[in-house]
Amino acid sequence: MERFAKGLTSFALFLTIAFLLLPIVVVIPVSFTEAPIFAFPPEGFSLQWYGRIRNVDGLLSALGLSAQIAALSTAISLLLGTLCAIALVRGRLPGAEAVATFMVSPLMLPGLVLGIAMLQAMRELGLRDAWFSLLIAHVVITMPFIMRTVLASLSLFDFAMVDAARTLGCSYPLAIWRVLVPNILPGFVSGALFAFIASFDNYPVSMFLVDVRTKTLPIQLLNYLEISPDPTLAAVSTLLILLTIFVLFLCDRMVGLRRMSSI
Amino acid sequence: MQPDYLVVSGADKRFGAATVLRDLSLSVAQGEFVSLLGPSGCGKTTLLRCIAGLLHPDRGRITVGGRDITALAAHQRNVGVVFQNYALFPHLTVAENIAFGLRARGISKAEAGPRVAEALALVRMEVHGDKPVTALSGGQQQRVAVARALVVRPSLLLLDEPFSALDRKLRETMQVELKQLLREVGITAIFVTHDQEEALVVSDRVAVMNAGQIEQLTDPVTLYHAPASLYVLDFVGQSTKLSGKVLSSSDGMIEVQTAFGVLRAPASFMPGSSVAVAVRPEAMVLAPEADAALNTLRGQISDISFLGSRTQIHLNAPAEGEDRVILELSRLPAGLATGQEVSFGFRVTDTMAFLA
Amino acid sequence: MMAPASKAQKLDPLAYLALPGLIFMALVFLAPLLLMLWSSIRGADGFTLSGYARVLGDDYYIQVIGQTLQLALITTAGALILGYPAAFALARAKGWRQVVLFALVFLPLTVSIIVKSFGWGIVLRRDGILNWLMLNLGLIERPIRMIFTEFALYAGMINVFLPFMVLPIYSVVRMMDPRLPDAAATLGASPWFRFTRVTLPLSLPGVVAGVSIVFSLAVAAYVTPSLLMGDRYMTMSMVMAKAFLNLRDWQLGAAMAAVLMTLAVVVVIGAAILQRRLGTAKGS
Repeated sequence: MERFAKGLTSFALFLTIAFLLLPIVVVIPVSFTEAPIFAFPPEGFSLQWYGRIRNVDGLLSALGLSAQIAALSTAISLLLGTLCAIALVRGRLPGAEAVATFMVSPLMLPGLVLGIAMLQAMRELGLRDAWFSLLIAHVVITMPFIMRTVLASLSLFDFAMVDAARTLGCSYPLAIWRVLVPNILPGFVSGALFAFIASFDNYPVSMFLVDVRTKTLPIQLLNYLEISPDPTLAAVSTLLILLTIFVLFLCDRMVGLRRMSSI
Repeated sequence: MQPDYLVVSGADKRFGAATVLRDLSLSVAQGEFVSLLGPSGCGKTTLLRCIAGLLHPDRGRITVGGRDITALAAHQRNVGVVFQNYALFPHLTVAENIAFGLRARGISKAEAGPRVAEALALVRMEVHGDKPVTALSGGQQQRVAVARALVVRPSLLLLDEPFSALDRKLRETMQVELKQLLREVGITAIFVTHDQEEALVVSDRVAVMNAGQIEQLTDPVTLYHAPASLYVLDFVGQSTKLSGKVLSSSDGMIEVQTAFGVLRAPASFMPGSSVAVAVRPEAMVLAPEADAALNTLRGQISDISFLGSRTQIHLNAPAEGEDRVILELSRLPAGLATGQEVSFGFRVTDTMAFLA
Repeated sequence: MMAPASKAQKLDPLAYLALPGLIFMALVFLAPLLLMLWSSIRGADGFTLSGYARVLGDDYYIQVIGQTLQLALITTAGALILGYPAAFALARAKGWRQVVLFALVFLPLTVSIIVKSFGWGIVLRRDGILNWLMLNLGLIERPIRMIFTEFALYAGMINVFLPFMVLPIYSVVRMMDPRLPDAAATLGASPWFRFTRVTLPLSLPGVVAGVSIVFSLAVAAYVTPSLLMGDRYMTMSMVMAKAFLNLRDWQLGAAMAAVLMTLAVVVVIGAAILQRRLGTAKGS
């Protein structure tokens, strides 16, 4: 019975992993096919689809825009979110728990609702700049990830260390920089990573805010998939997967992957 | 030796509605060890933080070596602090922790090196320099914290409950070790503690604090044998307390009626006033010879507790009442049993009386 | 009464650091949401519930809501059935093997949903990998149509949201004291009794977390259903997107969004209450 249960759970894990990886792994061989279709098994071997990435209209600029928006919105969230987290942990703020819940709440809200609300608000204000709309919307998307991880690491931080640094000759800001920042860095890194991915991948909010010239990568990819599906998409996807693996590897080196398990 | 090396005068500190320091004054000589002793909330940690510059008093002045540091920020004061739980930096090694204060003062890595090595040697941690602080035992962490505070040659060392994170046995060793180390360095040190035994062991003088004020500041022996108030008596050491009424008073001697009988104490209170009379347990003897210098009373044994090096005997009053006497003997006489009625006594000069 | 004034004085100056973030979120997040709710009840001449009447009174939209709930429920159930035992195996693994297994569960979470949905399409195509495998194994004689079927949709949804079920259960199971089932065994409990009376109740907080996350994500899913099924299986999200982007019928879209938001919020708050009850029941 015991062994049966163990066998069953192990099999479920095997099935889970195989199932999860299947649609990701399948993209890779298809990206090297010679034929202009997604048929399996792929025919021959060629790198032509990788070469064509450059020629697809708007793909590279969409990649640039997505990276830019994700990086900027993550940076802004890091700044605003960290300040807010410090206030919540140290400021003896009445209703701190409610404030924390509010700051994390965009995560629980359907993305589309957020996008629609943003779209309406921008229209009401007459704000038609897609880049700016995307940026502030993505700050809202990234904020919960930063708040959660930074709050968690701050509440584990012993603030006597800041006092210790001050008595040892550091001014208050310098003490924060030398002692607080290095100690909550794992929280920063994993929070920022998740925030960046959430922004980089976001579709349901962005779809309401883009315009013809300002399109993020997921929007552009989906467009392309609908208009002219060919293995170029597989090539782009393969590159994105490799990039993800690389970033995850880096984060594992820096802070340890399992510390991030609290999604 | 400067007699008034650290001077705190007229310090007030309020947090919202709560007054934590109340017109507090304190003067410490150079090289002296002073403990701030009191229960939590008495203001001892607040006073320490005010001296460190981590808090600023609402009113009052703080000088060190004649220099007014009241307005200086923590990092400008050159005051070393050993924090409760040590507050070592977990992202740095032992040596980097110790070098932290030197580097913050703009001393180059090369120049800091020998001084860090010296500090490591001082606390006998030479071989641990490259370890992460998280790999150290409690006692080792304390030594690193002391080395980190001392390496910058502070004008004053403040220690906030430095032994509270250690287990009992280690605590006793470290108390003596730290005291010797600090004597060697010749620094002026202020200990904050709620442990009266620790205060008696480590300090030249003890300041017992109560509600933001210093209730008594004196050497450990005087503090133990001549507490200035019931509060100090209760806080320092064990004692037996009997409540009573003053029957008569003459020439600095009073006679007090207690549940155990009449006894005398060196004090002068108005006849009729309610007092508490106190005796240290080890000042009492069992079945004394008749002697005019002794208060001799009778009581019934309710419990005998063997504590190893000594034995405690609990006595009930012959009359009805709550009052109990605890008497401490280093050797237990044979044939003593609970329920027995015995006589006991203590010197009149060992008898302390306080207005209740 | 001086009490409120003294309370205000006591506010730590550090508390003001919360202001920039709070003000930003109030303006950019809270205000637009309120505006949206307002616009869902604002007609040409004042207050109206006609948006809601259209959403909740029309058989078509009722059917869409029903389909959305059905999809979310099936996705949640499927993810739970597969993810619950998998989380136990993941928590049981030791050392480097656990790191690798964990990374394999974690990686799909960070891969773009577009890429995954696109890959899922390749898997299920008539000339895709699944048909190819089954043909070569002799399980089928002719390729079968899978893409654009409800089966494909459910499988794709479970695929996308499964990690959100495994990870919360894993983190609860990992913290579980392994001696407790053993203790139950010494008390004479059979394996089944041990599971239902000890292991299952202890893992419930993880299950509640996983179920609420997966359900609230699945009920709002947009990319996966529209890529795998398109207009053949309309969900609330797709109606909303259509209302705003094609029909320009903001009132309809806003009302549908309000209904969807209510659903998601109810699930999240319900799960939070349940979590708290489970927490106090444990007495910790």
